[in-house]
Amino acid sequence: MNARECFRPYNDPAEFDKIIEMDAVTDMWRHCMEQYADLPAIVFQNEAHTFAQLDKDAADFRAVLSEQVKDGARVAILARNSYDFVRAYLAAVTLGMTAVILPPQLDSMTVMGCCMLYGVSALVYEPALAAQTEAVRAKLSLPLIDITAVSGKNEPMRGCNAKTPCVMMFTGGTTGKSKCALLSHGAVMQGTVNGCYGVKHVFHQRYLLVLPFFHVFGLIRNLMTSLYTGSALMICENNKNMFRDVQTFKPTIMVMVPALAEMSLSLSRQFGKNMLGNDLKTIICGAAAVAPYLVEEYDKLGIQLLPGYGLTESANLVSGNPESLRYPDSVGYPFPNQELKIVDGELWLRGKNMMDGYVGGDESGFDADGWFHTGDLVRQDENGLLWITGRIKEIIVLSNGENISPAEVEAHFNALPFIQDSQVFEAVADSGRHILALEVVPRATVIGKMGLDNPNGFILAELEKINETLPDYQRVSRMTVRDSDFERSPSMKIVRYRLNHDQTGNL
Amino acid sequence: MTRQEIFDKLMEILAAAEGSDEIVKSCTESSRLRADLGLNSVNILYMVIAIEEAFGIYFDDVGVNAFETVGDTVDYIEGKLS
Repeated sequence: MNARECFRPYNDPAEFDKIIEMDAVTDMWRHCMEQYADLPAIVFQNEAHTFAQLDKDAADFRAVLSEQVKDGARVAILARNSYDFVRAYLAAVTLGMTAVILPPQLDSMTVMGCCMLYGVSALVYEPALAAQTEAVRAKLSLPLIDITAVSGKNEPMRGCNAKTPCVMMFTGGTTGKSKCALLSHGAVMQGTVNGCYGVKHVFHQRYLLVLPFFHVFGLIRNLMTSLYTGSALMICENNKNMFRDVQTFKPTIMVMVPALAEMSLSLSRQFGKNMLGNDLKTIICGAAAVAPYLVEEYDKLGIQLLPGYGLTESANLVSGNPESLRYPDSVGYPFPNQELKIVDGELWLRGKNMMDGYVGGDESGFDADGWFHTGDLVRQDENGLLWITGRIKEIIVLSNGENISPAEVEAHFNALPFIQDSQVFEAVADSGRHILALEVVPRATVIGKMGLDNPNGFILAELEKINETLPDYQRVSRMTVRDSDFERSPSMKIVRYRLNHDQTGNL
Repeated sequence: MTRQEIFDKLMEILAAAEGSDEIVKSCTESSRLRADLGLNSVNILYMVIAIEEAFGIYFDDVGVNAFETVGDTVDYIEGKLS
């Protein structure tokens, strides 16, 4: 069965045939205007903007851009999530320009460094962030364009095809070093269309956006798939107000990282009501490992939580799991138009959704045969479902030569209902021996209900039972129950401990 | 609602936000949310949303990072309730 047909049983039959592959954002936008012109596209600060309004405003901003920048140039956008961001982004990419999406928290010198490194021809900025453009203003002769600028003119879209460069986005890369990935119109559109597969009702939905546009999960799976499907996207200005926005907007789909899905669930439990509202039917969850219990708990609330797997380099989505209740720990079936190869356990990718390459460094990101090495260790079952088993860069090599994938060992401990998160890492014992150590963060809501006299003693005993079932080389020698969460990165991923191999004492 | 009642209710929220009852045991009004209690950005977001829900108030005039200590947070809630 081809990859597209794999998803047919999970989509509404009438909707599945409406999922049409497209080559360029310009093609998609013409389609949107034919089908959805009078429908709301973006809701921001209590104002709904229809597709027709966005079309008119983007055409106006195209004129602002084309007066100052040549076609085909790279234009950096420094702005927080807003309607103006959507207008500027859409204007730039439909002019055949490449939108370089800068995270809005970058300082002035870094903004200048990015403009130089990535060959940017103009900087579009939000007025509230003007201080962060000071270095560019002082030292580079770049046009600085106010994102709220209005021309009063109407500049038409340019002809774009699958190979036209579209957007550049920051990524941690597969080696942990920050890079900028260039995605073509073809890649962006494949990522956009992939967002439709496996979601029963995906057209004419209401999305509440709580992720930043500078992340592919926010830009492609939220904004682009929402526009493509004639849905309305409400931009949440401040995540602390997300539940108030839920009450007014009544979203039907939300795209979340697991930490946010977990937080919403905990709040729902604490206050005895579904904080995400009764209209929400689907949560798309990814960007970090999704704990299987989330799938089951959200199912009890009538919400289907669909885990997926993706990378910035693959225009977000590589696979999605429409069978999450049966296989909650799988990242699902691969999406169409890509080739997958598993080499020594590592997933390699090639296809329409892949980036053109990294920009601003020596590394293209591809091997001589055009394969992208993801750095993720996977297995695929006989039905085609993918499971992530670890990451190459996280592999621990102990002095006995054993290669340990921490994620694989952690999964055993995370399966306990009272464990929220765990981390397996290399430590040095007092004897100088390198050992495997485990730290866990308990799930207080579950532990609290158990009425235990000595909760930590109970947790350690249960962990030890699991430990004894593991193969010798995977067993941990030291266990600690934490009384606080792990340090987390801005994207809410656990910051992994790193062993300095020169050190001789305890961590 | 007395200051002590606000503090106690805040402790319930912190225990759920942080995922542990442990920190609450040694928590005082001078405890710093991040440096002493180890709350991360998700925990702080949880705390703010839960306070709004539990006390029926809105944090309209401050950001989520406005409070350094537990006492600052109690002050703000007390001010809003009065």
